[in-house]
Amino acid sequence: MSIASRVGAPRIVPTKGIPYPAGDPSVGTNEERAWRRRLLERALEAVCTPVSKPTVFEVEAA
Amino acid sequence: MRLSENDEVGAGNWGRRGRPLTRLVHEVTALCLGEETAYREGRLTVSAPEAAAIVAAPALAEVRVSCASPGEPVRIVKLLDAVEPRTKGRGGAGIFPGILSPRRPTRGPETHVLRGAAVVAAGFLPRAQEAVVDMSGPAAPLSPLGATHNVVVEFTPAPGADWEDVDTALRQGIIALAARLAEAALEAPADAVETLPGVGEQADDGLPRVGVLTNLQTQGKFKQPFVYGRSFTDSFTTLIDPNDLDDGAVVSGQFGHPGLKNSTLLYQNHPIVEAMRRRHGSELRFAGVVLSPEPVDQAAKEFMSAHAARVCALAGWDAAVVTKEGGGNADADMSLAMDALEEMGVPAVGLFAEMAGRDGTGPSIVVPPMRATAMVSTGNYDERLVLPAVERALGAERIDLVDQAATDEIEIPMAAVYCSLSPLGWGRSTCREAA
Amino acid sequence: MRIVHYINQFFAGVGGEDAAGTPPSRTDGAVGPGRRLATLLGDDHEVVATVSCGDDHATSAAGAIDEIVSLIRAEQPDLVVAGPAFTSGRYGLACARVAAALVAEGVPAVAAMHDENPGVEEAGAAVVVRSGAVAREMGPSIDRLAAAVARLLAGETVGEADGRIGKVPRRNVLVEKPAAERAVDLVLARLGGDRSATEVPLPRFDPVTPAAPVDDLSKTMVALVTEGALVPDENPDRLESARATKWLRYRIQDRDSLPAGEFRSVHGGFSTVWANEDPHRIVPLDVARELEREGLIGGLHDEYLVTVGNGTSVADARRFGVEWAADLRRSGARAAILTAT
Repeated sequence: MSIASRVGAPRIVPTKGIPYPAGDPSVGTNEERAWRRRLLERALEAVCTPVSKPTVFEVEAA
Repeated sequence: MRLSENDEVGAGNWGRRGRPLTRLVHEVTALCLGEETAYREGRLTVSAPEAAAIVAAPALAEVRVSCASPGEPVRIVKLLDAVEPRTKGRGGAGIFPGILSPRRPTRGPETHVLRGAAVVAAGFLPRAQEAVVDMSGPAAPLSPLGATHNVVVEFTPAPGADWEDVDTALRQGIIALAARLAEAALEAPADAVETLPGVGEQADDGLPRVGVLTNLQTQGKFKQPFVYGRSFTDSFTTLIDPNDLDDGAVVSGQFGHPGLKNSTLLYQNHPIVEAMRRRHGSELRFAGVVLSPEPVDQAAKEFMSAHAARVCALAGWDAAVVTKEGGGNADADMSLAMDALEEMGVPAVGLFAEMAGRDGTGPSIVVPPMRATAMVSTGNYDERLVLPAVERALGAERIDLVDQAATDEIEIPMAAVYCSLSPLGWGRSTCREAA
Repeated sequence: MRIVHYINQFFAGVGGEDAAGTPPSRTDGAVGPGRRLATLLGDDHEVVATVSCGDDHATSAAGAIDEIVSLIRAEQPDLVVAGPAFTSGRYGLACARVAAALVAEGVPAVAAMHDENPGVEEAGAAVVVRSGAVAREMGPSIDRLAAAVARLLAGETVGEADGRIGKVPRRNVLVEKPAAERAVDLVLARLGGDRSATEVPLPRFDPVTPAAPVDDLSKTMVALVTEGALVPDENPDRLESARATKWLRYRIQDRDSLPAGEFRSVHGGFSTVWANEDPHRIVPLDVARELEREGLIGGLHDEYLVTVGNGTSVADARRFGVEWAADLRRSGARAAILTAT
């Protein structure tokens, strides 16, 4: 994530880990899918938000 | 483990500041094996049977003791840890709290130091990456052990012994041996008497309060240091009296990344602490040491580095030097802490090893800071060097890294030379553009 | 000193694009632009041979660079000069790769090309000297190159002032002061107001202008893209596991999910166990379809775009980005979610 900011990616949603950007193997299947949904919803909010510099859009805890 | 009178002297009467400490330094200029352990006029004689008996433990079937001194055509491989012989009195008297002495904040105003000597463990342990030291040739100046007279402890594990027990036995063994060797100098006149101030003394001198945030690698078995004898894995950031480092409050149990390792010997002689003490009262006011873990997952890294930065700020620091242990992963903790410090208006300087590839053209830093900008380079991890053949090797007969006899001419990366890229700032290596 | 010059088929006089497949060959002495180079270097140095190769052959034939390097090595040069390649991409890559290979063997080499040439990124530890953009600028380009070569032959260094571009290798040296003392010096300098003092230059990145926000998501086609190397199980298009030279597209038009066993990640930079257990951890098609069905987004692009982000050169990564943006624009996608590993 700090790399993404550093190289200037405008809209960044932090994820759980490098090998599974859209998942979270530490939780059950349903919970993981719910997490993925929240990630994508947050990413879509990000593309609808004006930004002028690298901006981090954290996913709120469930 | 017995307490000496030394333990009670001066206990707690230094008021609201750190404990002052006097180092009684005995220079070691020669080392040999002999009938009886003794120290006389710079010569340290070690009784091999006595030394082996001190290290002996149920987990170790055999312990072998030998010597390696600067300038000799000797290579030490599979090097694990190195300890500087120190003691506060007979039986240790509080030295290495939690390992040799009872676990409590160190007391006693004096510590005897056998400077120029080291007790070194070498041999196989799981998860240990092979570390190399040459006592002569081009690699000798790259490692702190290239310039010390080394008492090398090799071992054979007991059949069926648990590796963790082997590790514990070795750590306790070389520490007990280091304290025992220092005891040989208790009656000898000191070559130097060094008085270390207690940190936190108030003064209206207008000097900036500068401290060091030292991150410790915390990745579990064989990759963790011990603070007051307890594993630092899963621990929290803490302020520590720097003079307790001198008395062995931090001991290494971390055998990864040989070039980027902080050995016990370097914690005892924390180079940044020494540099700050030297400038104390003239250019800065030495504000102390904060130890902080390097957690494995990203969220924990972010939390712990932000927390560590706040501890430094709460301790009233005006600026900080930040250090790490380990490879690129540990850069993240350091960069995050540096950025958090800068965000609070506390300028931060980090010590990084570059990972610029064999030819030095790759990106230098895996995870550079975003806000902080001041970095010291301790050299390029990936650059190769050729070490000439030697006459004798200790630690193992082969170097698995290059699959060659340990005495051969070998070509290895800087990363394999013990403490060559010291994140605590021991070394004189750095990178320059080869224009 | 003995100098060998490397040039392409065009400057060797073999031919233009029609001759780009010509294999390597050697000629005695200087040829084409090498003549002026030889004149400028004077009597102390000699261009002993010229090695040339067609640009296509040099950049795509297996073993071509080794072949060129062995022809050059046979001349026992003290220094090798490659180019100038101007903005010609394949020629620049050939010059860069030849120079990089020679330097890795301990033979000093200099390549000349324009700043924008993709070869600049591939020259390894070789010296790269700036040339003009087009062959019309041969004269001043050769002048600058000859001056840099003369400096190197005299044992001097070549820096920015001499037209050096590209990466400058960083080498280990021993200095007087230990790192700890330097760190304290640096912290005192910072306290004194010096914000620029550092021993490690911070990496420089291109400024990125953020795209304008999407106004109505429910009318917007969204694309899924990734550098997580997720491909059909057989990896039919042979995506690399590292140092990607290409990107690929896979149709997802008639799919609601990417089942384990049918897709896998070939990324070489992390453990792919989790990705292979559930490919949605890399490309979140399952949830994206759900969002599409619910009308939250106007539609999902028919294909996902994929490459591998693992030691990929900046030049290649930049090219992929430009190509992806153009491709998505053409297909009507107006937003993309890039899952990054």
